[in-house]
Amino acid sequence: MQNAKDSFYLALRTRLTTINPERTILVRGALRPGILVEEAEGPLSQIPSDVFVLRWQGLGVDVDLDSTLVAEECEILYQTLGTQSFGGLDRGRMLSAMDEELLAMVQPFYTPKLNYSATPPATMLTQVFWDEPSFTPAVTMRDRLSRSAKVLVYSYQEQGE
Amino acid sequence: MAANWYSAPAPVARRVRGFFAPVNRGAQSPVVFDPVQQGRFSMDTPPAPWVNLGWIQDFARKSSSKTASVMAGIPASALEQVRETLAAEVSFQFLSWTKLTMALATGSQHMNLLASASGLTVAADGPQAIAAVTPQSGSTANSILLTAVDAAKFSPGSLAAVDTDYSGQTGYVGSPVAGAFLRQPLTDVDYIRRVTFNVGLVTAVNPTGITLAEPLLGGAPGAGAKVQAVTGFVDREGGSFYQEWSALFVMEGSQGERIFFHYPRLQSMAGGEEAAVPLAGKQKTGHARIRLKGQFMALPVTDPMDGERVVCYRSFLPAANALI
Repeated sequence: MQNAKDSFYLALRTRLTTINPERTILVRGALRPGILVEEAEGPLSQIPSDVFVLRWQGLGVDVDLDSTLVAEECEILYQTLGTQSFGGLDRGRMLSAMDEELLAMVQPFYTPKLNYSATPPATMLTQVFWDEPSFTPAVTMRDRLSRSAKVLVYSYQEQGE
Repeated sequence: MAANWYSAPAPVARRVRGFFAPVNRGAQSPVVFDPVQQGRFSMDTPPAPWVNLGWIQDFARKSSSKTASVMAGIPASALEQVRETLAAEVSFQFLSWTKLTMALATGSQHMNLLASASGLTVAADGPQAIAAVTPQSGSTANSILLTAVDAAKFSPGSLAAVDTDYSGQTGYVGSPVAGAFLRQPLTDVDYIRRVTFNVGLVTAVNPTGITLAEPLLGGAPGAGAKVQAVTGFVDREGGSFYQEWSALFVMEGSQGERIFFHYPRLQSMAGGEEAAVPLAGKQKTGHARIRLKGQFMALPVTDPMDGERVVCYRSFLPAANALI
């Protein structure tokens, strides 16, 4: 399962660097693409603005198949305050931009499964695939505008997983 | 060399994609899809002459072939089976309205509404059209060279039909797509351009000609071809003509496997019908997407490999490393 989660995250991260290379975040002194996995970072009191945060939630397994199918629910959270130069009045536009970036990031709806615990990462036999994102309504909290989208990510368990 | 493998469950596919290619009606010659040589084509750029019609929904295919038993003995028991009839139907809904999807989803011929001068006698198929103009030599499938005077008759964003004048012929008319079947000669010189599938969107007009958004289905304008402005499309419930196309439906699995359903001859078998699908799932009023419904009958071809008569080929290209 971890390989599928890693592959999904890395696929989105790679695509984001093409879609909007300027969306970045400084994490522990390193400038990285603006997408994080919540469970792989230090505890966050509040998710950072203008960054996508992946939160892994539900889990389903179908063991009646030749290869076990695992479905994992990923919630992708993001929020924005707008930009300082516009005094935050562009927060709606910034959220729309993130909506579009997310929609572009999840397409195509599959990626090769890689084992990132190996160096270099080893390509596995199957692909990770997922559904269209299900967007929630935007939430306004004072000057902060946020939204999340849920994606069901599927993968087949391979030998050794 | 060695390969690892895994046990692949049933394919998981999100959608079905449809591709169509014109059958040569005069020669009764369908288009063959070769899954060995063409099976891994890019879904956005299908091999010629297949035309990408995009994703389709509610794809359903049904065999209506009938099998009978040859009974023998007392009491009678089945000695063997014979195929009494060979038939199959396909139905689905198009997600877009284009010249081609409209034509496929109607049971009869599909016509272009040729632009006309104002004040003419009204006609359900459009009145007498503005005279066609002649392309210059050197025109291509998406660049039609015209004189400056002729080019000025078109505007960016308009539609144009390109085909020859009608000169009294009967039988199938239109090439490479037969757009109609005439039992008796007509007098309308524009008739072929009314039924032609060589229609394109004009994206640019300049003194040397017009540029089309996509190449014409029939390729570069042939000898005698002329160009006319089109304002829209019309089809009719009734008539004696049936659209016939070669069809290819592709399901791409989550692991890269592909399932192909190749119908060499598919004829529309129902009149025009639409399905209104509400944009918001549970809402019965409000906006609804109008989908074109297509229903088709598969006609047989003779497989040259063994002389068997068949209506459909189902091919499967497994995913890499999948155990079969």
